Amino acid sequence: MTHLSADELVDALDDTLESGRQAHLDACESCRQQVVELEATLGATRDVAVPEPSPLYWEHLSRRVRTAIDAEPPTAGGGSRWLRWPVLAPIAALALLVMALAVSLPREAPIAPAVATNEAADTAVDDRFAVVADLVGDLDWDTAVSAGLIVSPGAADRAVLDLTALEQRELARLLQAELTRAKS
Amino acid sequence: MTHESAVRNAWTPAVATGWTVTVVEPDAPGTDGAISVEGMDDAALIAASMAGRRDAFDAIVERHRRTVYQVCYRFVGNHEDASDLSQESFVRAWRGLKTFKGQAALSTWLYRIAVNVCLNRVSVKTPPTDPIESTDHFEDTRVEGAQAALLREERAATVRKAIASLPKKQRATLILRTYHDLSHQQIADILGSSVGATKANFFHALANLKKLLGNEP
Repeated sequence: MTHLSADELVDALDDTLESGRQAHLDACESCRQQVVELEATLGATRDVAVPEPSPLYWEHLSRRVRTAIDAEPPTAGGGSRWLRWPVLAPIAALALLVMALAVSLPREAPIAPAVATNEAADTAVDDRFAVVADLVGDLDWDTAVSAGLIVSPGAADRAVLDLTALEQRELARLLQAELTRAKS
Repeated sequence: MTHESAVRNAWTPAVATGWTVTVVEPDAPGTDGAISVEGMDDAALIAASMAGRRDAFDAIVERHRRTVYQVCYRFVGNHEDASDLSQESFVRAWRGLKTFKGQAALSTWLYRIAVNVCLNRVSVKTPPTDPIESTDHFEDTRVEGAQAALLREERAATVRKAIASLPKKQRATLILRTYHDLSHQQIADILGSSVGATKANFFHALANLKKLLGNEP
């Protein structure tokens, strides 16, 4: 019968060797010697402890971790700090106003793709939205709440779906600009 | 609701369960009035951390910092590098919170991160190991005991240095198996290898250690 393989020698150390191979081990002086040597090395290794740092070290390590995480880019980690209410609130208020304006605008015939490249139309819409953006750019959440501009669940989604392609594009541009401004 | 049940249900969607979360302990600073992390299990701490609660992640660090540090120390054999690697491990854990799906225990996930950080960072040459402390430290009337302690520490330093010089995968396998009692399957999962490869690595790690340590064990 062949000698124990590396896997089987490890199984022998773990006392999980299959019975047929255990019979070989019992009868084979060479394999037994290998197991004894591995056990001796393992025992000598196991006895070595990690030196215990100062009791103050653990809190120091926690502080280091905290500081390092604070220095992480804002998108890292479980909670995206720039996506919290103080930042989201003005953006949400802005989006609400933009959508309200868009819905109230006289709806034109559906715009064919070719029309989307019409610079004159783009400029006119840009001007209208620029006025709105200027008006609400610094609106904070408290002001929006006090003005009764609270978004009900799902309202924003529904309103966005009602926008035309051009309006959706403009909304995306405004939101992107606002996000960039908020992050900077 | 009792404090215990409040803690247990704090991270369960209120709509689904009908629970109303009641804060019954004073707020910790910076928790925005949320329930205390004390008494939360690992799953709750993960959920709270993902919700942006830094005090929950601080609690995770506090619970697991010793284990992570020990894994790193075993890898590099010195305090300074172990400290840097521990910090890096937790920062990566923070970055990767969203990827933690909860299939494995938090400790296993942290083992994986720490081992990967060590495998990626450890240089191919033998890292410097902490020097043995001066004999002056042990000088007192118990000379015989001090000498024994010194010999023991010398021996430990030799073994640590030998472990630190093993090939990376052998080192990782030996550390996780010998000092952290992980099964071969768990180690295989952490290292992304098979159980057979893990056993082979363990065998070769011991065989190499035997050579490195000579007749000393």
